[in-house]
Amino acid sequence: MDNELTALTTIFTEFYYWMTVVLMFLIHVGFCMYEVGASRYKHHQHTLMKNTLLIPLVTITWFFFGWWIYWAFPTGPGIAPSIMTESTGLVLGGGFGANELANPTNALMAVNLGDHIMGVFWAAFLLFSWTAASIVSGAVIERITTFAFGIMAIAIGSVFWSIDASWGWHFDGWMLKILGYHDAYASGVIHAICGGFALGILTVLGPRIGKFSSSGEPRNIGPRNPWLVCIGLFLIFTGFWGFYAACNIPIFDLGPEYGMEGVTYFTATNIYVTPTTLSGITMNFLMSLSGGFLAGYWISKGDPFWTYSGGLAGIIAASAGNDLYHPMQSLIIAGAGTAVAYKMHYWVERTFKIDDAVGAVAVHGYAGVFGLVVCGFVLWGYPSSGYNVGSMWVGTDYAPINPLGMIIGAIIMFGVLGFLPGWILAKILHGFGRLRIPRDVELAGLDYNILEQARKDERAVASSNR
Amino acid sequence: MEPTVTNWIDHLSASEVAGQVYPMVGSEIWWVLAGIIFWIWFEVATATGEANEHAKLARKRHGSNDYKSNITEW
Repeated sequence: MDNELTALTTIFTEFYYWMTVVLMFLIHVGFCMYEVGASRYKHHQHTLMKNTLLIPLVTITWFFFGWWIYWAFPTGPGIAPSIMTESTGLVLGGGFGANELANPTNALMAVNLGDHIMGVFWAAFLLFSWTAASIVSGAVIERITTFAFGIMAIAIGSVFWSIDASWGWHFDGWMLKILGYHDAYASGVIHAICGGFALGILTVLGPRIGKFSSSGEPRNIGPRNPWLVCIGLFLIFTGFWGFYAACNIPIFDLGPEYGMEGVTYFTATNIYVTPTTLSGITMNFLMSLSGGFLAGYWISKGDPFWTYSGGLAGIIAASAGNDLYHPMQSLIIAGAGTAVAYKMHYWVERTFKIDDAVGAVAVHGYAGVFGLVVCGFVLWGYPSSGYNVGSMWVGTDYAPINPLGMIIGAIIMFGVLGFLPGWILAKILHGFGRLRIPRDVELAGLDYNILEQARKDERAVASSNR
Repeated sequence: MEPTVTNWIDHLSASEVAGQVYPMVGSEIWWVLAGIIFWIWFEVATATGEANEHAKLARKRHGSNDYKSNITEW
């Protein structure tokens, strides 16, 4: 960097993403608190360690292949033409799309004086990956083996969400071009897919012992520490600010990017490189949080667990279009999405005997699907990308946002890339007898040996006099 | 071991500044392979350990409230 303006823009962008990573770390702190608070005393430590281990497992596999997948498959491959061609000057590497760029042996995947963005961008996406795995983690507590969960975390965190991001979040993604898919803050790309993945696992894993009576009536196994759950959710909300920020490019000149000769237009953009403002999305974030809180409080008759979960479901429901919605639209969509998620949770639990311990399928899956479908109607006709404007991009059209494309997109996210892989992987692990902990271990408690040893230690110390 | 950078002034005043400054440039593939081996070893070792621990605990056939006698006061 040899001029001050370029240096300032580059290093500001580098620092911006670095800050989003720090903020998003709080999502994981929140998930750990939330899950421990939701689990019973005899399972606490294993619940915590299960969620902690996903950090290193998803991180190293994200380095090995997850990031590569995101850059490798925007076109399917083979479903839609790429705009990353010689004529556009956007060729980032050979093979599928830009796979050389994100190859773990590439010179940019390290400290490199010629690049200030790759590492922080990689990390921001990695924190999305942790979130993806954490969403699944809560649903399966107290009965999945740590080994099986580790495999599932890698599958959703470093493979399947990476594929859906490549298809539906990448500026060159085929879902934008063919379906007019739009999902600015990941109603589907993170939440619907993870809800579907969790549901696929739960279908095979089965409920916790005692969850359903012999007549099939569900019993409430409420959070053991509701206060820890509430603080955990507050931290998730806090981290969600970082998530929203990381879905933007903070400063970008769209004029030359869109091929508009002589036009300079600096703005913040969403992940698709279309203009929005950080100011506007801040309003929408808060309004959708409020809509979810209000609906959650009302529909659950003041239950703290569902009021807090409602806040999260509200943000998720409005996230697909929060780059463009009016704040009141965000509020109403969030409230409606929360009500749908709540009702669906209990209907699915009662009808299909699904034990979703923390309501993850509802809050992330159903609210995410609702958000995608509603976005298709409310933003009907908006361009899904700016790259079909200007001479540079002639010949590569993007479909506008539309209801049918968004409904198909929701099916792809929740069903094709979420439920199906979760169900298949769970079946395989179940077939090898590695999915669920033994019945006697579940009854005794995963932490039984740890508690027993602590008791022995306590007695030994208490009986000593020197 | 030969460091990649031995003099920052020479490095930054070169006509074309080399971006890679980490040690042993060119050996990235071997480091990545080592990482993959470590990861696979971890999966196998912990899976085996967990299965053994579960089998041992299951044999004791504790009841669902037995853990309460182990709750410590410290």
